[in-house]
Amino acid sequence: MSGAQTSPALHPQSAPHLRVGMSTRRMTWLAVASLVPALGFGLALFGIPGLVVVGVSIGSALLAELATTLPFRRFTLADGSALLTGLIVGLLLPAGAPVYVPAAASAFGILVIKQSFGGLGRNWMNPAMGGVLFATVSWPGPASWSIPPLGGAAGPAAPPLEALRSAVSAAGPHGATPLAALDKAGYAFSSLDASAIDWINAHLLAPVGLAFNHGALDVLVGHVPGAIGASAPLLVLGAAYLLRRRVIRWQLPVIYLASFAVLSLAAGGLASGGGWLAGGPGFHLLSGNIVLAAFYAASDPVTSPLTRTGRWVLGISLGALTFLMRYFGSWGDGAAAAIVLGNCLTPLLDQWTSHRPGAAPKGAA
Amino acid sequence: MNAALLVLGLCPAIAMTDTVIHSVWISAGLLLVSVLSTLARRILRAVPTGDRGPADGPGLIAALCVSSVLTAGFEAGLLAVSPEASTSIGIYAPLIAVNVLAVGEPLPSGATPARSVVGAVGRGLGLGAALILIALVRETLGAGTITLFPVGAFKGTIVISALVDEPVRALGLAGGALLCLGYLAGVLQAIGGARQRAGAGGEKP
Repeated sequence: MSGAQTSPALHPQSAPHLRVGMSTRRMTWLAVASLVPALGFGLALFGIPGLVVVGVSIGSALLAELATTLPFRRFTLADGSALLTGLIVGLLLPAGAPVYVPAAASAFGILVIKQSFGGLGRNWMNPAMGGVLFATVSWPGPASWSIPPLGGAAGPAAPPLEALRSAVSAAGPHGATPLAALDKAGYAFSSLDASAIDWINAHLLAPVGLAFNHGALDVLVGHVPGAIGASAPLLVLGAAYLLRRRVIRWQLPVIYLASFAVLSLAAGGLASGGGWLAGGPGFHLLSGNIVLAAFYAASDPVTSPLTRTGRWVLGISLGALTFLMRYFGSWGDGAAAAIVLGNCLTPLLDQWTSHRPGAAPKGAA
Repeated sequence: MNAALLVLGLCPAIAMTDTVIHSVWISAGLLLVSVLSTLARRILRAVPTGDRGPADGPGLIAALCVSSVLTAGFEAGLLAVSPEASTSIGIYAPLIAVNVLAVGEPLPSGATPARSVVGAVGRGLGLGAALILIALVRETLGAGTITLFPVGAFKGTIVISALVDEPVRALGLAGGALLCLGYLAGVLQAIGGARQRAGAGGEKP
């Protein structure tokens, strides 16, 4: 399909009309491919239940796309966009969710958010994030049912973020960092993590007077109850590939994550009684869906601003919104709600920051 | 259509379509006030009564006065008939006064009172049907119940056991109302467009 720019005939394609020397279809399939490592790791951890959630969400997305395009005698499954939406929805959900949660989330994303507004390139909101938010708002309980990962601690499986939230509300202000607070509340990480962290602390960090909390390793690699695609290193690896192939641009995800990290570090400790500059940004960056949201939803070229200024403003807004919703809201980890709200700002940002032909340049260039 | 009026008209459409019974009461109020205020404005033709459309200055004030008086009457009547319905509808009953203007349509000045009343009945029934339909969808899916009047042994609420434990709560929120409203408008527009293309429609769209 990359012949669209060289062949004499015109091949009208769906938006986004970006000049990156690559067709929309190719970009989408590359994005799908880049998620495979995170998906594989998630399926290895959560087994059959994880496969069911991802399978149902992909199947529901494909069916919804088919149902809305076949009556018009069009076939759009080959562009991979519905598959990508279903895959992201599956990765954002926990493996213990009942099947109607992924089914409804994907179907809502495709039917309402994407196809109702004209299909690929015309959606003004990220379909996967909107669908997940719809499911989270509709079924707050079932949409967060988690199961322990392979080799994880047995017992009730609460994602660390939720456990931290209930620990804070049960014990009140404790002034500790997130992992220390979890430790104090008796949250169990895997035995592998415990032995690895103990070894590192004893052999590497003791001489310099430092120590990691238990759970640092589990949280880092995503070996915790919660979303299937929670392995930040593998997600970053996939995103790095996309950045290298210039499928996504670095500004939005990086500014988003950076502003969220800065806010978490600066003010995140206030809620837990730790005061300023005691927020534990690492824990918050690595838990929840923020990494996946930043690289695969915030950077969606359809719903992100066209101008550089717009992307900076949106990135900072997304970080602030996620921070506010995670620390003071009640809808999950805040990333989905922040992305959906941020998508609504995009047309305004485009309008405010784009240079109008014939108008004097705004500001001092 | 005045945008401010339209937004005010949306207010009860969002707030009062959470249960079927609320939408039935608000629809009844809309129908009653719309018919009576149309009739009153027809009869009081000597004063400017907004016959050229609800948004024409002094006519708007006059029309608002008429519908406010009638709305106050409906509120008092509702309080007498069903105090609990009056309590649950609360602040949205007075808004009927503005709603009637929002959905009102200017009639040709030669229209007889009877013709105007027929038009008002049609608009009232149409709006009521739309509100009840939205409420039916929202309450069934968003709460897993259908709340109606208690009659005899029937407690007034139909519980849909498959949905009541984990309903689609998003539809019960305000956004759910806008979503249903949007799809309803879209379907009606599609039907209207199809009818226009077929050339069979002799009536006003």
